[in-house]
Amino acid sequence: MEERKPGVYLCRGCGIDEAVSVDDLEQVAGTELKVPTCRQHDCLCSDEGVETIARDIAEGTVNQAIIGACSGRVMTDRFQFNGTSVIRANLREQVAWSQPAGDENTQMLAADNLRMGIAQAAKTVTPEASAEGETSSTILVCGGGITGLSAAREAVRAGHAVVLVERSDTLGGWAAQWSKRMPFRPPYRDPQDNDVAALIAEVSGNASVTVMPDTVVTRTEGSPGRFSVTLSQGGAEKIETVGAIVVATGWRPYDASRLGHLGYGTSPDVVTGVELEGMLGAGPVQRKSDGKAAKTVAFIQCAGSRDPDHLPYCSSICCAVSIKQALQIVEADPEASAFIIFDELRTPGTAEEFYRQAQEAGVIFMKGKVKGVDADLKVVYDDELLGDDIPLEGLDMVVLATGMVPNSTNPEAAAAESGADQLVDDIDPEAPIAIAGYKGGNGDGAAAEDAAQTPGDGGEDGNGDGDAEPALPGGPILNLQYRQGPHIPILADGFADSHYICFPYETRRTGIYTCGPVRRPMDMAESAEDAAGAVLKAIQALRNAGMGASVHPRVGDLSLPKIGLDICTKCRRCTVECPFGAIDEDENDYPILNPSRCRRCGTCMGACPVRTINFDNYNVQMVSDMIGAVEVPDEFSEKPRILILACENDAYPALDMAGINRHQYSPFVRVVPVRCLGSVTMLWISTALEKGFDGIMLMGCKSGDDYQCHFIKGSGIAKERMEKVGETLKSLMLEEERVAVEEISIADSGHVPNVINSFADRIVEIGFNPFKGF
Amino acid sequence: MAQSAPDTARKYDLGFARWVYENVEGGDKLSMCMQCGVCSGSCPIGTEMDHGPRKLFMMIRAGMKEAVLTSNTLWNCTKCYRCVVRCPRGVPVTYILGGLGTKAVEMGYVKTEDTVRFSKAFWWSAKTFGRTDERLVTSRYHFSGGFGEGVKKSLANLKIALGMFKAGRLHLGAPHKVKGTKNLQAILAKAQEIEERAGETER
Repeated sequence: MEERKPGVYLCRGCGIDEAVSVDDLEQVAGTELKVPTCRQHDCLCSDEGVETIARDIAEGTVNQAIIGACSGRVMTDRFQFNGTSVIRANLREQVAWSQPAGDENTQMLAADNLRMGIAQAAKTVTPEASAEGETSSTILVCGGGITGLSAAREAVRAGHAVVLVERSDTLGGWAAQWSKRMPFRPPYRDPQDNDVAALIAEVSGNASVTVMPDTVVTRTEGSPGRFSVTLSQGGAEKIETVGAIVVATGWRPYDASRLGHLGYGTSPDVVTGVELEGMLGAGPVQRKSDGKAAKTVAFIQCAGSRDPDHLPYCSSICCAVSIKQALQIVEADPEASAFIIFDELRTPGTAEEFYRQAQEAGVIFMKGKVKGVDADLKVVYDDELLGDDIPLEGLDMVVLATGMVPNSTNPEAAAAESGADQLVDDIDPEAPIAIAGYKGGNGDGAAAEDAAQTPGDGGEDGNGDGDAEPALPGGPILNLQYRQGPHIPILADGFADSHYICFPYETRRTGIYTCGPVRRPMDMAESAEDAAGAVLKAIQALRNAGMGASVHPRVGDLSLPKIGLDICTKCRRCTVECPFGAIDEDENDYPILNPSRCRRCGTCMGACPVRTINFDNYNVQMVSDMIGAVEVPDEFSEKPRILILACENDAYPALDMAGINRHQYSPFVRVVPVRCLGSVTMLWISTALEKGFDGIMLMGCKSGDDYQCHFIKGSGIAKERMEKVGETLKSLMLEEERVAVEEISIADSGHVPNVINSFADRIVEIGFNPFKGF
Repeated sequence: MAQSAPDTARKYDLGFARWVYENVEGGDKLSMCMQCGVCSGSCPIGTEMDHGPRKLFMMIRAGMKEAVLTSNTLWNCTKCYRCVVRCPRGVPVTYILGGLGTKAVEMGYVKTEDTVRFSKAFWWSAKTFGRTDERLVTSRYHFSGGFGEGVKKSLANLKIALGMFKAGRLHLGAPHKVKGTKNLQAILAKAQEIEERAGETER
């Protein structure tokens, strides 16, 4: 890199000038830190202010702009100078707006924020795009049901070629079997005609779509932009290069043969909802036993759902499906009666209209739990509204509303050799780390192996007793050739893992997007919408891969982890802990990065025990220097210093918002934004303690089953690591409480000052860091 | 509610709800009941009923025909209409209770219910005079259960009767009548004829 020419630009607007002495700040930059160019402006983001900076850059006196003004989260479009590195020191939200004006401590905070910015600039290099050559714009869609067909249609409309792979020999999936659809247009009251045939015709008739029935994916290599997938059509293999993959493998009904307690198998007239669909499509519904018309039909909701012995979750659509079928029955035959026995009727959104329609049509709803169904179709249920057992006698048919099981594996294929245990726990059993969303992901490899050896026993109820979690049966869908195993990571219930709030379509494998019921239970209309969302994400991924840029949440980031192999000890922590499987191992067990799989979270950087993984614009030394740049007063000044390593996705904006809302908090905190708590390395903790910081707080997203970490595992990993730091602190004769991890969501701006203040109080109680001043 | 249905009344009929929907006045709206319980919560004399309207409606769905038609709920309703006004689903609770009562009498479920005897005495006066005559309605009701009971009940109410007499609320002499009682009776006879005709076509 050419010689660094930093320039400091200080804004006096938005209350900064009233809160602190900007002249003194200029002194810090110019006199103390010898930055050659220092300027002030009344409104730096105005055209005139921006011009001041642009002029210095154009004249060549400055090639790094350190802007002491508002938070780095705002005005990013104003302070952008053709790739010149721009460093932002937050003087507004986290100083002027959250601290008392004119106070000595406020001035010290502002000066430290500026010092940290200047230190950051000294270790930053503007990353350059690593072009990797040609990328493909073709999208592979796995699954030819309503979701896959909708995905193919949307991709073609957006101008992409599609390879549509379907395991069976026909398109349409389950949707092709339905007699009618649930209403998806206003007034949302009547079952609508099934239009899936038109969708099949549209997609298969499109020249940009290559439809491959009777095909499975046997191998997937590469990374976004150039996945190399091996497709096996009836045994004949073919290799395709695709830019991104949309997985729409859908669902299968829960195995009703396990529902003997609800009469399945005891009488041919106890059928599942899926079976009833076939009967509805064939004309007037007749009893299987004697062919008589079914005049009196009872529907049992939650048959094997929300039941710890079966599917523990709600499939969300069974209520509306039963309503639809009951309506079809009573509308086809005015003499017919339909009873729906529910525990809780769940009709979200417009399905409420549908529920009303069924009530008006005379469908009888009963609230309670079914106790049993005998061979004469006598249903006994415990009516919660009467507080009594009620027998229903004289029924012609009983319908079990069974739930949806995700096809996140291919149930027809044999489990992959190392696949089943990888699916449950893709972390090295030698170094167990809690994985978000995995129950029993405690590295107990033996339990996983047991489950893998008894296929069919564990079955779909992937949520048995909590200790030995059986893996989903079946082989991997894509058979990924990744170090972390062939499967798409799943959640405890078997659905594909995704960040359910912010990035619902993302899997933990960049460039591979799930949609439809493989992601969560949903109906046809939702699946079609979901498919459109996933396709847009897939398009973003392959385009970004072509530019060498990251996908969300660091969209457009060109930096990549650079692994210094000279001191690498082949410990594999980076390859194991990467939430996205971006790092594989080469034949000599050295880590090897697949750049376009990387999301730039820095979890590898935080994991590396020899700290040989760094980004150009975010590295171990940079943050260490920033921590070191803070001026720590001696203990007699009675001014403690608390380091906050704040996740830039949620915690840092929450701090900014606290300032916007003018919430004040302790002036003794020094905030360093980090890409993810997963990137926090132990060195930073020890640097801070050596420097004399009295407390350290890590602020990040929620971890666990309902994680909100934008990089899925990062906050969980950080929590795990920090639990171990306690021992180190003890060995240094320091109190464990000096290091804390707090979960802060973006909505916590009102709460975050309390978190900070109570931590500061605790630190004062404990007393000052004895290393202060050494 | 005061007490639950007696076990002897445990007769279930799956088609009962459907029958109520189709045959009882207001029953066509009953299917919209969502069991929120606003009716029972609003009822000023709910404590005097075997079952509040909400529970009664669920019993209809559960097919508890006998328990419903023998319930005193049908007779203890004072027709204040509070439930009808408040029902969020527009279920005409009062009409349905009245309709069920009519059906219960027709089908012979109700024989000795106190309120039935009062209703009959009331209706006799209304039909005969076009008005209710307190003296005649009360005495007809009191003696409907036999002579001994009539004397006992009359004596028990003597004080009230004297008070009403003093206040001018009870008069002696011939009962007051509306003009043209003959015409009124003809109207009522016609109405009954129409109702019976309608009932026959339904069947």
